[in-house]
Amino acid sequence: MAHVAYDIDPVEHRPALIEGDPDFHGITEAVARPVEWRPPWGWYAVLAASLSLLGLFGVSIAWLFWEGVGIWGNNVPVAWGWPIINFVFWVGIAHAGTLISAVLFLFRQRWRTSINRAAEAMTIFAVMCALIFPGIHIGRPWLPYWMLPLPNQMDMWPQFRSPLMWDVFAVSIYGTVSLIFWYVGLIPDLATIRDRARTRLRRIVYGIFALGWRGSFRQWLHYEKAYLLLAGLATPLVLSVHSVVSFDFATSQLPGWHTTIFPPYFDAGAIFSGLAMVVTLMVICRVVFKLEHVINPLHFDRMAKLMLLTGSLVGYAYSMEFFIAWYSGNLYELFVFINRATGPYAWAYWTMVSCNVIVPQFYWFKRLRTHMGFLFVSSILINVGMWFERFVIVVTSLHADFMPSSWDYFKPTFWDLATLAGSFGLFFTMFTLFVRFLPMVAMAEVKSVLPQAHVHNRPK
Amino acid sequence: MNRDETTPSSAPPNARPAPPEAGGKLFGLLAELADPESLMRACARVRDAGYTAWDAHTPFPIHGLDRAMGLGKSWVSAFVLVLGLSGAAFGMLMQWWISTRAYPLVISGKPLFSWPAFVPVMFECGVLGGALGALGGFLYKSRLPRHHHGLFASERFERVTDDAFFISIEASDPRFDAEETARLLREAGAHHVELVHA
Amino acid sequence: MEHPHEVTLPAGAIEVPPSSRWRRLPAIAGAVGVGALALSFALGRSDGPQLYHSYLVAYLFGLSLALGGLFFVLLQYATRAGWSVVVRRLAEHVMATLPLFALLWLPIGLWGFDDVFHHWAHPPPDDPVLAWKEPYLNPGAFYVRAAVYFAVWTLLAVWFWRRSRRQDEEREPAITRRLQSLSAPALILFGLTLTYAAIDWIMSLDPHWFSTIFGVYVFAGSVVAILAFLILVALSLRGSGLLDGVLTWEHFHDLGKLLFAFVVFWAYIAFSQFMLIWYANIPEETEWFIHRWHHGWQYASIFLAAGHFGLPFLFLLPQEVKRSRAGLTFAASWLLFMHYVDLYWLVMPSLHHEHFHVDLLDLTCLIGVVSLVFAVFAYLLVRGKLVPVGDPRLAESMALEVL
Repeated sequence: MAHVAYDIDPVEHRPALIEGDPDFHGITEAVARPVEWRPPWGWYAVLAASLSLLGLFGVSIAWLFWEGVGIWGNNVPVAWGWPIINFVFWVGIAHAGTLISAVLFLFRQRWRTSINRAAEAMTIFAVMCALIFPGIHIGRPWLPYWMLPLPNQMDMWPQFRSPLMWDVFAVSIYGTVSLIFWYVGLIPDLATIRDRARTRLRRIVYGIFALGWRGSFRQWLHYEKAYLLLAGLATPLVLSVHSVVSFDFATSQLPGWHTTIFPPYFDAGAIFSGLAMVVTLMVICRVVFKLEHVINPLHFDRMAKLMLLTGSLVGYAYSMEFFIAWYSGNLYELFVFINRATGPYAWAYWTMVSCNVIVPQFYWFKRLRTHMGFLFVSSILINVGMWFERFVIVVTSLHADFMPSSWDYFKPTFWDLATLAGSFGLFFTMFTLFVRFLPMVAMAEVKSVLPQAHVHNRPK
Repeated sequence: MNRDETTPSSAPPNARPAPPEAGGKLFGLLAELADPESLMRACARVRDAGYTAWDAHTPFPIHGLDRAMGLGKSWVSAFVLVLGLSGAAFGMLMQWWISTRAYPLVISGKPLFSWPAFVPVMFECGVLGGALGALGGFLYKSRLPRHHHGLFASERFERVTDDAFFISIEASDPRFDAEETARLLREAGAHHVELVHA
Repeated sequence: MEHPHEVTLPAGAIEVPPSSRWRRLPAIAGAVGVGALALSFALGRSDGPQLYHSYLVAYLFGLSLALGGLFFVLLQYATRAGWSVVVRRLAEHVMATLPLFALLWLPIGLWGFDDVFHHWAHPPPDDPVLAWKEPYLNPGAFYVRAAVYFAVWTLLAVWFWRRSRRQDEEREPAITRRLQSLSAPALILFGLTLTYAAIDWIMSLDPHWFSTIFGVYVFAGSVVAILAFLILVALSLRGSGLLDGVLTWEHFHDLGKLLFAFVVFWAYIAFSQFMLIWYANIPEETEWFIHRWHHGWQYASIFLAAGHFGLPFLFLLPQEVKRSRAGLTFAASWLLFMHYVDLYWLVMPSLHHEHFHVDLLDLTCLIGVVSLVFAVFAYLLVRGKLVPVGDPRLAESMALEVL
């Protein structure tokens, strides 16, 4: 499985990004096939499984609304338990999509074209999952408009000095901008599906969303400019979003939460976990939809290197927090960190460290960076680790607060677990539908990085 | 080049009446080129011949084609700048007004106008404005969405979103002459030239 | 992507000709540097604390440039960058000044130590926090750590510099492959040494204060500095008719974009540090900002925020500025100045926290250190090729086109 047919990291020239030297039409065929053909039985199986989990999500939320947040394990002192962990986890997953589509675009990393569409889709679905958790955690889900900048019936306005208000803006604007970015990128490819449509219904539906695109270069000029500017806006946006999420914790005075490195540390961790999710999904999709030549070992090699980088940055942040906890001379701060590593949640802490810091170190080896089996397992381990990172941050800082008489051991209930599993149902349902109905690779962009797209001798 | 859709005002002097076998008004000529390189050369020739109501059509953006076509800079950035700055200004003003005028409330001993706490939302509003500007500017400048276009009458043109490269010259162009223009396109390397009737 | 492998380098563009004014620079800068430092030590004899704080700021300015150069070189190898090959040699020479900083550190380490680090070197007996920190903040450990930093920096700088130069002769792609594979571990060493050096030599000036983001903050400033420096040197080389047809406006455009990006990154880190400390308002942390918000220092703080972020952000925004000689010259010179202000703002309030004060020694020390660093840089520059002529990606770099 780990065959690399050619040198993916030569110094004498740039490697081909797509294997097998396909022509433009070959790319169209390969990418449009999953949208036009009857999907394989495996797709139905995954959809059925995802829908069942989504059903569980629905039941969990319905029961929550009926019974109240008491069905969860949240209780003083761990009043911010499972839902906030899941919220941060899903927002983090979202980040890799923007990294791949925007940041790598600005850095002219042309290998991104094979995976950016799927990663952006993942971003949007992950933001949807994330937004649900604070929404259902507020306790009075019929009053969500209190989070909007509007006066309520008592003429009270929202309180903008609260980081939770910043979150409302950051995450919802992040979702909106990601959707715009994704949709603008989709327009030319939707036109391709429209032009290949064999039924009137497909022609009309894809035609509506393709907006009448006809590949006019006068339009491409504006398209490319808009895409570049959206990338330029999305890059600081993605950094700001997880920074704002980190502010939820870091503006407090709680030991283990209040530390200045949180914003960049959360960003690195978010991109780390998101990349791991992209790898998990792409290892499967490329095989199921026969896109092995489009999404090939070169792409995994680059993503694994980025995971090595972000995983090591996360490790740097862990060690910096620990060192400064000691260096500060603040005994409460130090206690929290020693308690993390040796206290009742040591199992969670060491799961986090092993998965997030040790597992990516295997990516120093090119063989493992391109080994699909290893990538699949390690990327899942990384996401387990990143989930536990949020668990460790939220729970270990709260469970032993300033008053030892209220210390407690937080345990999730069945409904906590069901809600988390159910959110995966929502995510996978959306993703499964996406790979069936929309081109999961940005065809137009992949064509533009083929060697024959390059004009060597330009006229004056 | 501000408006990129060509909107001819009057009928061109030398437009021919539509041939009887095709229905509808003559839209113009559609020429197919073999690859990006020959497309770019052909575009330079059409540009040098002085045509204005014409376009190139490609499945993906081709670097350098804008110069071969004689196109200027895209001003979508102006939309982004104006809306982005307005968004940021709106974000800060909104927070200032809500926190100091509409509902002044002292929170954790901080001043009513706590600007450091208002920076995140100001930034997010700026980005939202900029992104809407990029989307709106792109759609406005490229005249999208659009229900129909004359070129969609050509069956061959369907491959423009797959692997084919075209140049279209509209009949409304003052220099348009069905035969002369077709000859120019053939000489420029087109392997197929057809008249399109909308 | 295919790229032509054969490069035709314009004759006379990649070596400094014997008649060039660049040939005279090492001697002139060296003389100015020695003179200015001698003057500083003569003037500052009676005021040790002022002398060594001024010297520390100047030293950190030069050091952060050299470390920025090291980072730039390592980053290009780690990312297999093609665009930057024609500017990399300039950064390599900046990086190669790192051994000099072991020497320049001696005045601080030997004579100025008590004047600069007395807060923790001679702590009051009733200070439990400093007693707690004693295992880290004690002179012995401090010297050992400094020795480790200089060993790592010298090793990395000399190792990478030598091999890149050797490639000029041997034209061996294997050298690039080797440097690439070692650049990633080298970046880890770079990150750790820079962080702890920042803690030792800047953060410990206020030994009660702590901030986990501090290393990242100093890093962000260093990258802004090296990018500004590279732009200025490259512009003046082009002004002397060198690198013509090799280093083009496309490269300046990219350097300008990176400079813009790191200005924003610096602001992001600076704001995160400030906002979190301001918001939580915990006395042991807030004290550090209080020192920078009273007795005249508030004007320095506002100037820093506006000059290191607001002004350059707006100025560098248009594409045209990043492709204009005057625009880039102004932005890069201004940001180098602001980088000095930034370091001044980090260091000086621990000496003058009761009043804002600028001293003549600040200027003489700065001229001394910068001239010496520039002398070494120019000495290396005129004695070799201006671009890595043996690099397999040179042709790709020269053909750069910014979309």
